[in-house]
Amino acid sequence: MNPALVFPDVSLAPLLPILITLLGAIAATLLGFYLPRRAVTLVSMVALVLSGISMASLWNRGLSAFSGSLQADNVALSLGLIILIGSLMTLLVSFDSAVRAHLSFPEFDALLLYAVTGTLIIAFSGDLVTMLIGLEVMSLSGYVIATLQGSRRSEEAGMKYFLLGAVGSAILIYGIALVYGATGTLSYVGIRDATSGLQVQNVGLLVVGALMLLCGFGFKVALAPFHQWTPDLYGGAPTTVGLFLSTVVKVAAFAGMLRVFGGAMQNVPAWASVLQVLIAATLVIGNLAALFQTNFKRLMAYSAVAHTGFLALALLGNPATGGPALTYYLLVYTLMTAAAFAVLGALQRSEEGFSIDDMRGLFYRHPAYAVALAVCLGSLAGLPPFAGFMGKYLAFQAAFQAGYVGLTVIAAMGSVAALIYYLRPAMLMFMPDRTPAREFPGERTPTTAAIALGVVGVTVLGVLPNVAYGLVANPAIWTILAGR
Amino acid sequence: MIHFFIFLPVLASLLIFLVPVRWREEFAGAAAGLTLAGGLWSWSVGGLSAYRIDWIPALGVTYSVQMDGVSLLLGIVTAFMTLIAVIYAGKRIPNPGTMLSLILMMETGLLGIYAARDLVLFYVFFEDALIPALLMLAIYGKTHRMAALIKFAAYTLFGSLLMLISIIALKYYGGSPTFALSDLQANPVTGPVQTWLFLGFLAAMAVKLPLFPLHAWLPDFHAQNHDSGVADVMGTLYKVGAYGLFRFSVVLFPDAMLELRPILMGLAAFTALYAAWIAFSQSDWKRLLAYAGLSHMGLVGLGIFSLNETAMIGGLFLLAFQNVYTGALFLAAGMLQERVGSLSTKVGGVMTQAGVLSGMTMTLWFASIAVPGLAGFIGEFSILLGAYQISPWLAFLAGLSTIAAAAYALTAYQTTYWQVRPAGAVLVHDLRDLDWLILGAPLAVAIFFGVYSGPALALVQPVVRAWMSGLGGGL
Repeated sequence: MNPALVFPDVSLAPLLPILITLLGAIAATLLGFYLPRRAVTLVSMVALVLSGISMASLWNRGLSAFSGSLQADNVALSLGLIILIGSLMTLLVSFDSAVRAHLSFPEFDALLLYAVTGTLIIAFSGDLVTMLIGLEVMSLSGYVIATLQGSRRSEEAGMKYFLLGAVGSAILIYGIALVYGATGTLSYVGIRDATSGLQVQNVGLLVVGALMLLCGFGFKVALAPFHQWTPDLYGGAPTTVGLFLSTVVKVAAFAGMLRVFGGAMQNVPAWASVLQVLIAATLVIGNLAALFQTNFKRLMAYSAVAHTGFLALALLGNPATGGPALTYYLLVYTLMTAAAFAVLGALQRSEEGFSIDDMRGLFYRHPAYAVALAVCLGSLAGLPPFAGFMGKYLAFQAAFQAGYVGLTVIAAMGSVAALIYYLRPAMLMFMPDRTPAREFPGERTPTTAAIALGVVGVTVLGVLPNVAYGLVANPAIWTILAGR
Repeated sequence: MIHFFIFLPVLASLLIFLVPVRWREEFAGAAAGLTLAGGLWSWSVGGLSAYRIDWIPALGVTYSVQMDGVSLLLGIVTAFMTLIAVIYAGKRIPNPGTMLSLILMMETGLLGIYAARDLVLFYVFFEDALIPALLMLAIYGKTHRMAALIKFAAYTLFGSLLMLISIIALKYYGGSPTFALSDLQANPVTGPVQTWLFLGFLAAMAVKLPLFPLHAWLPDFHAQNHDSGVADVMGTLYKVGAYGLFRFSVVLFPDAMLELRPILMGLAAFTALYAAWIAFSQSDWKRLLAYAGLSHMGLVGLGIFSLNETAMIGGLFLLAFQNVYTGALFLAAGMLQERVGSLSTKVGGVMTQAGVLSGMTMTLWFASIAVPGLAGFIGEFSILLGAYQISPWLAFLAGLSTIAAAAYALTAYQTTYWQVRPAGAVLVHDLRDLDWLILGAPLAVAIFFGVYSGPALALVQPVVRAWMSGLGGGL
């Protein structure tokens, strides 16, 4: 008797956000032959907006496809929306700076959208293989984007990113294999079920697998000591690319970590204590190194490393408190980091960025940009009423309630260092200065729009955190992180 | 009404940039005046009752505010000194729009600190007052402001973040549903955990108070700020540590405060004496005033830490009126600088040409060194009286600081205002039009409440009683 033909569980609705982005990427690839770059960018932005609308329509429906390999639950959707916001801001900034950065060809948009597709796949993933596919799509596009400029600096940056990223991927894949060996399944639900009572055939294998996964993710989110590529990459790559990599890619990697460690491997021993050590190292190294930067772009790079530490605090928490904390923080982080990079993109004369001393008196030359940047830096430093404060507060709370008191205190000390390095440029801008301006004198409308989005976002979310936090605060959506 | 009182200044500080440049001073003055009127009106109706609404329900953060006697007294003093600062800034600083906006923004932060009855809300206002203070220093400060600024911010945030962790822990260990003070009081934390949380809280308050050894930011902050003294007035108002200790620590960490009382009182007394000693060797009026303020804050701390009713009332009284006369003295130092171009205490002979300025300055200094009949005396006397009942020796030690105060104040005053005017020195003009009001009004307040302290004490006393009643009998 012939075995019955089993069709895969394909349902289009939960795939829609990813498919729209993918179609956008394909359209950008093809249209690039016929249309100027600006038109292609507009098409890409429309695709992102449509994808966002389709996500909103999926809210609260809890759909899945491919027998659960792809989850469109509220977790995925909220993370996906954050990714789209970051990507939209990237495209807005690229309108202005692409020409100067020698990036003004349609391939940039196409690759960017492929990367976004990958990041969405990670956020929507329901098993380790889907996650890995998303991660590789994202990383490969990322390597290319980083080197697209064709300057020596950017090539060096991309090369470092590629080599270390490839090592990270390799370790990650090995970890996946070990986890599969220990549990006999790749799906998050399966792993969770297999590890819930820890009746696994080989706990040692599982633990080693989990730690290798952690290590692999550590490369992607830039946890110390796997962070070394970050400053060179963000500092060497064009500003637009730095913006994209430090926000969207990081959000996606954290989405993956949240799924894997918050959901599937929540009960696996050892990873949390190792992560604790890594976070402590990240907080110390990231914050201290940032203190000594003279180039604003490198400062932002180390700030991204330091923020990895704060973000990862939320991962240590119980998913019901850590999940919403991480999501809210990622949203805020995306808005403030992207806006800060956008101001940098609007003002710098060359892709090398500008030195912190050059910011002296900026307030008197570009009052609006200076205030916007000050708001972003204040928010990054965690000063209320800006949303960065709430984000930090939530992350501290999540880690504290999970019993990581010492780590929370280290994080608080890290914040003091952070305040100093954010404060210096922020305050220099307001100091009167008579020397001639060293930055680009004009206005750049699309970039300004991106900055406005970020600044309004961090202010509104800071005063009324419930607008975003209320959406994800329901603990029920976090208990099914692994899918069911 | 209470929201109007708190948020009117910040609203005005944002709107000020829409007002035409030449009307900005009048606009800021009107806003500050209205706020003060709101405070006085609240006083006339006996304080503003509690208002509470959920702010972030998912986290248990509420927007709870109230203006009872202590809050009201400090709030009115803040509004009063803000008005004075606004008037002087409008007169002294060219194109003062930004400065006025920052002053008003800071006023909201300070009023919010006094009104907040939710710990997270308190934290938010606590930090919000910091931002305008930093900007004032950055925009209007002197050459070495960056170092002063970073020192100030680092000290402040170091304490605040430890406090934030304490706040989180307080709700978590106590099991309170929200961060509102009333809920936290109903779900107390006890035992050694309380002590640890208190230490976190103390870190923030001791920086703001400031208490030795966390005071190092203060002299630089004042010395590097703008000469006019306007920013210093706001800095004086920003010493809210004692208030925070009174409002939150006494009811949330009573056992820990009692346990650490000898150490804390000792530190406070030492701060008072040590600062007075250093003030003696200062040759810059602003640094001298900064150390004088620090010495007074040591006394305020002594009053709060002694957990004695009289001393605590005295501490809060001194905290409120110290703002008035020290603030006015900073402005007087600004006027001196305006006239002779220096803040040095060795100018000499100002009295001969600017008699009224010198006279008013001297009377304000009398208030500061606790001459009876002026507001400073009531506060310092009550503190020492109360502290004596707890620890006579520490009260004696702290009492020495009042003698030291007379020494440093009169020495510096003598070399600046008396003595002989150096030959060929610039001609110094005396007070003009609004200067009279700027120094006269605080002086009038200091004299009025020094002679007739009843109304102010009546505001403070019931609240302190109610707060202390939670501590049990043995005090």
